[in-house]
Amino acid sequence: MESIFEKLWRLGPAAFVLKAIVAAILADALLLVFILLRRTYRKRFFAKRDRRVFELRQKWDALISGDIPYETWRKKSFDRRIVETIALDAFEAAGSEESARLLRFLRDSGLIEKRIFEARQLTGWRRMRALVALGRTRAPEGIPALAEALRDRDLEVRLAALRGLGRIACPEAGQEILTWLGESALSVPALPLQSALIQCCAERPQMLTSYVQHAEGPVRELLGRVLGEVATPSMGLDLLQFMGDEREELRAAAARAMSHAGSGLAFDVLNELARDPVWFVRLRAIVGLGGLCEPRAIPALMGGLVDSNRLVRLRAAEALVQLQAQMAQIFAQVVQTRDRYGLHAYLTALENADLREKLGRELQTSTEITEEQRGRLEKVLELGGLWPEDSAKTGNLPDKVALLP
Amino acid sequence: MIRILDISNHALFWYYLASNVAYLIMLIIALKTSATHQRRLESHRLNWIKDSPLAPPIAIIAPAHNEESSIRVAVRNLLDLDYPELEVIVVNDGSKDRTLEELREGFRLRQVRAVYVPEVKSALVRGLYRSDVDTRLVVVDKEPGGSKADAVNAGLNAVNSPYVCVVDADSVLERDALLRIMIPIMADPQRVVAVGGIIRVLNGSEIQCGTLRRVRLPPKSIEVIQVIEYLRAFLIGREAWAQGNMLTIISGAFGLFRTDLVRAVGGYRSRAIGEDFDLVARLHRHLLEKGADYQIRFVPDPMCWTEVPSDIKSLGRQRARWQKGLLDVLWPNRDMLFRPRYGRIGSFAFPYLWLFELFAPVVEILGIATIIVAACLGVLSREFALQFLLFGYAFATVISIGSVLQEEITYKRYNDWPDVVRLVSYCFLEHFPYRQLHMIWRLQGLWQYLRGDHVWRPLKRKGLESAQAR
Repeated sequence: MESIFEKLWRLGPAAFVLKAIVAAILADALLLVFILLRRTYRKRFFAKRDRRVFELRQKWDALISGDIPYETWRKKSFDRRIVETIALDAFEAAGSEESARLLRFLRDSGLIEKRIFEARQLTGWRRMRALVALGRTRAPEGIPALAEALRDRDLEVRLAALRGLGRIACPEAGQEILTWLGESALSVPALPLQSALIQCCAERPQMLTSYVQHAEGPVRELLGRVLGEVATPSMGLDLLQFMGDEREELRAAAARAMSHAGSGLAFDVLNELARDPVWFVRLRAIVGLGGLCEPRAIPALMGGLVDSNRLVRLRAAEALVQLQAQMAQIFAQVVQTRDRYGLHAYLTALENADLREKLGRELQTSTEITEEQRGRLEKVLELGGLWPEDSAKTGNLPDKVALLP
Repeated sequence: MIRILDISNHALFWYYLASNVAYLIMLIIALKTSATHQRRLESHRLNWIKDSPLAPPIAIIAPAHNEESSIRVAVRNLLDLDYPELEVIVVNDGSKDRTLEELREGFRLRQVRAVYVPEVKSALVRGLYRSDVDTRLVVVDKEPGGSKADAVNAGLNAVNSPYVCVVDADSVLERDALLRIMIPIMADPQRVVAVGGIIRVLNGSEIQCGTLRRVRLPPKSIEVIQVIEYLRAFLIGREAWAQGNMLTIISGAFGLFRTDLVRAVGGYRSRAIGEDFDLVARLHRHLLEKGADYQIRFVPDPMCWTEVPSDIKSLGRQRARWQKGLLDVLWPNRDMLFRPRYGRIGSFAFPYLWLFELFAPVVEILGIATIIVAACLGVLSREFALQFLLFGYAFATVISIGSVLQEEITYKRYNDWPDVVRLVSYCFLEHFPYRQLHMIWRLQGLWQYLRGDHVWRPLKRKGLESAQAR
């Protein structure tokens, strides 16, 4: 039997072109007809829908209170979709009292039950749609159906389930995600998973600790990052075990988490982590130290100011600038470091916070510095740079950093 | 001689057939991808991304050169975009008008003596300004660098965010454009290194306070034809190429990149004629040489509306510049062709660009010439020539209507019936004489480049204020 290519070849250009013309003209006509019909259909559909939305909104209170029997609209899929959309949109923007009323309505009318059924029985995009709607209801009874969908073969369905569970945002939903994570490792992109876990574990972050301890590899890192986001002061002691972890992500998470812990415990840990060999661990520790707003943190922040990493320097400078009670002394110490990069970072943070003039006034009135120091510091502040002899330490570095103007 | 003409005509036939089949394949891929994308969007509630504490910070770089009349509105529009972590860096590229003063007054700018690390080369920076009204706004004032690329590079040095979005200051972004363009990154931040957004034609639409109020088709024929071209290029071409991870262009008017990678490749090439294409080509090269597992994606729904040339002269200059830009990138990267190291880019994307984009005007002009010669010598089958012409016309129309259909079934921004009728009508009318003119402009571009004219010249635009007035 001849292949299609052989047939085409035998046709020759002339016959082929003739057929192609017919095909192309036919395609043009079909496309145009499709556009025309689709537009007409959509115009009618939206007009009908808008009319119905208006009607249903007019009697909304009667609808959700049950004065209008649910069966009157629930059996018509067109009406049901409209009612559900209005209810879910209102639910997302509602306060606690209104939310409770809407949730009661969603339950009593059977809309949640219907979505649970769809989330379990349907496949593909329709299942995905049901999962999203279920998440939007924030009803705990939807959690088992969403958890089942986490085990779906289709990544999009798994993601929809994850987003739904994240939206429900309760520890039970978090528990389901963590159990599934224990079974199947990382089978979805990290960011949506992290996002869902943060939402679910915010209320009870302690539930994460045991999972972090027993998890391995990328899951451990991911859970560490989540822990870093949701940790509370009461978890201080639990977090100590991670500061010496071999994974830098976990040490960084511990640093981030410690910034939420009580300052007494946090200070020593963050001080230690501020000397970590990995830059982003130091960065987290410096940000944490800055958050404590304690003069005790100044030496560690000074260390951060002369760090080899630009971001660490900038964050350290921002933290130092926030310690406004001791601006003059801190500035004197910054100049003493004789580090041009550190000085520039500090001056940038000062300018960004619009505190340059305040520092000028502090220098004039401070009793903590000598007259000679005062003149020198004022000059540095005015020039925005070190004296040539002062900058000897960084003189050999390439002149890559410029202070503007 | 007759034998040569015969071979030439046959070659021409197969060339056009291949080109059209390629476009047809792209149309089918694009229709399928768009449908999938639309469905996928159903599980992405944009306000969930907006509320997420994990949304990575984005820095928007908006270069501005002599934009005194529209800069306030444009910057306000950028600051009003829906995104949780945003910094807006406006680069005043040596404007000779009151652009900087307008920004100073409008946003209470104060000069800051900030650290500026010129990691990427640019013309001299005169000063940095920060707004007291909105701390997310930073203005970089610099000496004129003679190109948009130079201005973007200056802005790049001031960026602190892990992602950078380059926009034109005179373009209008839809409010949720950043949330939408971040969807591929949020789904796979390890692999997705850049995302291109769609550019739509602003001419004719109604703007109020920097925000698009009503989308209308532009009044002039030349502008409507460009609407079709943009739909074809973005909704079919880029959508399909991106599906195979072979996207080679992210438009300079709206694209998102990982900051560290843009810095790693040295930022934009200041002297590049098509700086956007050049950057993406260098990113591909850099990542492929490192053996990285990466993706450059295209998202068709984040909307950036930009003004297109509304007169023949400006349009001709723009198209000549695009063709020059194409050669300016393809020639230095010719070593990537058919080398396994460069994967699909070297095997498919670049050969396609050489064959069907760069050489297209040359082949077209040669084709016309051989047909004329054959007709003069009496060896041309008139019937066949006519049929071939008709086929080319009908097929090209299928692709154009296909792009309109793609717009219809997905984003449907032209809602008025008269607009759709006009749009479809121009799918039939664009082939003569616009297509021939286009071919001449592209040839001019090639000729200019080969003659050594490699200068980047900005186009004359009416600006946002003109759209507002309508």
